[in-house]
Amino acid sequence: MGSTTIKDVLLSLIALLIFPGGLFLLFVGLAYEWIDRKLLARMQNRVGPRWFQPLADTIKLLAKEEVVPDAVDASLFIGLPIVALAGVLTAAIYMPFPGLPPVGSFPGDLIVTVFLLSLVTICLGLAGANTLDRFSLVGATRALTQLFAYEAPFLLALLGPAFVAGSWEISEIIGYTDGRWLLITQPFGFIVAVIGLIGKLEIPPLDAPEAETEIVAGALTEYSGRGLALFRLGKGVALVLGLTLIAAFYLGGVATPLLFLAKTLVLLLVIVGIHALFTRLRIDQTVGLWWRYGTLLVLVQWLGIIIWQGVMI
Amino acid sequence: MVQRDSYFQNLLARMKTWSRINSPWVLHFNSGSCNGCDIEILATLTPRYDLERFGVKLQGSPRHADVLLCTGGVTRQARDRLLRIYSQMHEPKFVVAIGACALTGGVFRDCYNILGGIEKVIPVDAYIPGCPPRPEAIIDGIVKLLSSLQAPAVGEGDQVSIDEAGAEVR
Repeated sequence: MGSTTIKDVLLSLIALLIFPGGLFLLFVGLAYEWIDRKLLARMQNRVGPRWFQPLADTIKLLAKEEVVPDAVDASLFIGLPIVALAGVLTAAIYMPFPGLPPVGSFPGDLIVTVFLLSLVTICLGLAGANTLDRFSLVGATRALTQLFAYEAPFLLALLGPAFVAGSWEISEIIGYTDGRWLLITQPFGFIVAVIGLIGKLEIPPLDAPEAETEIVAGALTEYSGRGLALFRLGKGVALVLGLTLIAAFYLGGVATPLLFLAKTLVLLLVIVGIHALFTRLRIDQTVGLWWRYGTLLVLVQWLGIIIWQGVMI
Repeated sequence: MVQRDSYFQNLLARMKTWSRINSPWVLHFNSGSCNGCDIEILATLTPRYDLERFGVKLQGSPRHADVLLCTGGVTRQARDRLLRIYSQMHEPKFVVAIGACALTGGVFRDCYNILGGIEKVIPVDAYIPGCPPRPEAIIDGIVKLLSSLQAPAVGEGDQVSIDEAGAEVR
């Protein structure tokens, strides 16, 4: 009995810190960031960065001097990037991450996962509001406004598959979606989920919170060194996890690592294509897009599902 | 034990140097140039020359940047701003003076409102001559600056403090 407990503890520590969460996830996040930048560069007729570019950026930022600005709550300034990264790393536990079954699960873990993924944006907003810099403040306001705009439609879109599967537990939903392409039966949910992910990661065209031509670098203007590196890592991890979630729910499941790779990369290609095609939306246009069209489309789809289920029964 | 420590630190230092060479984020500042050099810097960042293949990214915030690209002689108006932006950048930081005016003041040299080249106000790590320098010359200068990081003589120890630099002007 004693030996099994020690073994269990060791296994969960490995699952948390090395594989599939923790270290492995960080490196996959860096790899996906590189694929993102390289694809964008090729679409813009450029050569693009070398394969180790995100790694070099991260090491450089970690080794750079970090200055805590005046009139700033130092513990918040240092703590928020750590909380953001820890949040997304924790979300990986409930995900079918590299095509394997989730490490942990309980009824309703879908809600917890979506909340943990939003933690990056919330921390970003708080970090921006914490500093006195005007660009940070504008960036923080926009980040939180965008959060309130996309969060509800994104959650509703992810609840579509949960509704059909009859469970709010990720491991049961992916058991249901395995081999069933919900993309065909719930197209609106898929579109809203993909655009929700773009908004969550602040990728153009929904990058008003960090519009570098207007507000320097948004909420992260005052950050340098370690804080910036941790936020960047957190965004990379959030990208991988968001792609996993959408691929598992709408693209017929990610039963094996190979399927995971193929489906998430196709999704990434779609997102980079949208990035390369469209220009930035204003923040009011972004909010309007979500509440006028996104939420409405998902709700109409929900109505369709309910009626369909009523007819079937 | 001491040897192992020094080996580890050596490895760490090499990793830091490698990452700094491969990921220079630049900030662009015009302290009184005729705009010719600025256009060439922007041309260097366009897809034709694509500096992202060397890891160079244009940053808006001085907090994020490692290399300050300066153009033009320093006017009395721009001096305080240049000093301020330089002090807002975090260590390790490097300054590249681009174009004849940034080197010496160029054609504006003895004007009443021009203090001279960038080096009159802040310490400069690399000089790229030309009026304006071609994008190839700018890339060459930045590559030379970064490869000089590997030599131990040039590094963080050589920084001149702002007060000293400011005192030089007066």
